[in-house]
Amino acid sequence: MNPMTLNKYQLVIMADDKQVVLERILQVTRYRGFLINAMNAEVNTGNNVATITMTVSSDRPISLLVDQINKLIDIKGVKVDNSEVQIQQYSA
Amino acid sequence: MTESKTLTGSSLLFEVLKDHGVQHVFGYPGGAIMPIYDALYDSDVKHFLCRHEQGAAFSAVGYARAAGTVGVCFATSGPGATNLITGLADALADSIPVVAITGQVPTAAMGSDAFQEIDIFGLSLACTKHSFQVTDINELEKVLHQAFEIALEGRHGPVLVDIPKDIQLAEVTQRLDKLSHLKNKVQLPLADISKALELLTHAKQPILYVGGGVGMANAVEEVREFAEKTGMPSVSTLKGLGAINPDNENYLGMLGMHGTKAANIAVQESDLLVVVGARFDDRVTGKLDEFAPNAKVIHFDIDTAEINKRRTADAAILGDLKGNLPLLTTNLEISVWQQRLQQMKTDFAWRYDHPGDNIYAPAVLKTVSDLMPSNTCVTTDVGQHQMWAAQHMAFNDPSNFLTSAGMGTMGFGLPAAIGAQISRPHDTVIAVSGDGSIMMNIQELATIKRYQIPVKIVLIDNAKLGMVRQWQDLFFDGRLSETDLSDNPDFVMLSRAFDIKSQKITKKSEIKAAVEEMLDHDGPYLLQVQIDAAENVWPLVPPNTANDKMMEGA
Repeated sequence: MNPMTLNKYQLVIMADDKQVVLERILQVTRYRGFLINAMNAEVNTGNNVATITMTVSSDRPISLLVDQINKLIDIKGVKVDNSEVQIQQYSA
Repeated sequence: MTESKTLTGSSLLFEVLKDHGVQHVFGYPGGAIMPIYDALYDSDVKHFLCRHEQGAAFSAVGYARAAGTVGVCFATSGPGATNLITGLADALADSIPVVAITGQVPTAAMGSDAFQEIDIFGLSLACTKHSFQVTDINELEKVLHQAFEIALEGRHGPVLVDIPKDIQLAEVTQRLDKLSHLKNKVQLPLADISKALELLTHAKQPILYVGGGVGMANAVEEVREFAEKTGMPSVSTLKGLGAINPDNENYLGMLGMHGTKAANIAVQESDLLVVVGARFDDRVTGKLDEFAPNAKVIHFDIDTAEINKRRTADAAILGDLKGNLPLLTTNLEISVWQQRLQQMKTDFAWRYDHPGDNIYAPAVLKTVSDLMPSNTCVTTDVGQHQMWAAQHMAFNDPSNFLTSAGMGTMGFGLPAAIGAQISRPHDTVIAVSGDGSIMMNIQELATIKRYQIPVKIVLIDNAKLGMVRQWQDLFFDGRLSETDLSDNPDFVMLSRAFDIKSQKITKKSEIKAAVEEMLDHDGPYLLQVQIDAAENVWPLVPPNTANDKMMEGA
């Protein structure tokens, strides 16, 4: 059993309030090799902008995920919380 | 908004297609898209009935790639829509602008497991650049315009619009005033021009690494001018073939797994890679850690996500290649490097003096290439014939070589050639295929027959799934598992069943006359070329190996 070092990041994603936007973010996040540790989504009904806060972990650089989420058409922007935390996960 | 005559959603679709200059679409009707096919009846758009929705998607891809425009395809709900998926995935991998319109069950029935209902919107997430499902007739026009804009904006890609049947039938009386409906995202441009110039100035052994993005950016002229003015030796990816003039003395051919020896060695020895519209694909780099180990990287791309994805860039220049690349034009003092590579190119040149009477596939493809008219568009399927075509045929523009590069989709070549021929009726179109690949979309011979599309098919026949057989021989101890196709149909007889003239050749002495006959024939033609089943594609960089450790055959 080898320990795998994962880095943990918090992302704040601003998106158009479209029904499918969460599915798009989930699909990209899984496909690009990131685990979701926590997620919260809220909508400002005044301007129809959704704010999604997500904690993810991976051994891959966070720029990989940020760039791919940013490419999604419904996304307005992605910010990374710089306070990076290392966690160890044991793979079977 | 402008008041106009009352339109149904279906009629509005054709109005928007007209707004975007769409003249041809490829598709297949069915229950949930019947209102659209009814509106087609009164439309000026020419529809080509393909014999499978995958064929329609690939024809749209071929159309888009050959003409540099958006390809459009239609399919009904359920299986019609799922049959499009491979074509959309192919378009996503190769960044091809396609708009796919699917019919959907009525909104009231959605989510009820209705007949021919599938969540194509959900399925599209991983295989399109973007997708829409229209549940409000008042959104339809905006969405359709956005679909075309998104397909062509930045890095091109496929967009799917799923339209429920009741929305197709619903009426609308207002039209939008403007064509532009995209919200532009503001991105900070990466433009390390001065850093890039500094890297160039210090380079002694630079290589221009040319990818498919050059053609997509309409920057062939600028890249050729840069290559000529700087004298920088160049290599191409599979999708970049045609971007560099094949007669350029410093052009070394394709790099990567089946690249030329000169190209791969040059890249490995380079001290600077100027990467234009390419993405360090694993078939290009071989073992990534050992790819061009001493090279700095200047990376030009339209897609931010490609910068630093697989190889860190020392200078990144994001945006329009056409405008950006000329900024880097400078004098280089690299004559020693140029001469060394030119010598290597001569020393490792392809040879066609294959012994015996049997047909050597590279020789027949070289003959086709030498004899075909200059603006011929060649499509391929996937496998050994694809790599031989890439190695041994010469193309004078990326739009003249259409191959499934990223997805590697068998079954691409024939329908893509149909699309290419529809978009360029005055150019010769040749589909180079294999006996495994052609059977993947053989039903499209019926499309050729129906519209008398004069596509020429060069069928390289080794009665094998040749590339898999080659790998089984080389890397799986010769355990040939499910790669024998010796019970193939009689392809000549099959062609004749579709009124397609055909001929089979088995001896090298027959090549030239047969190719001339094919090219001189006015209508569609299939030339079956029987080759030795044991023939391999060389050179070959084994998986997860550095590119200078290539295997070479006898």
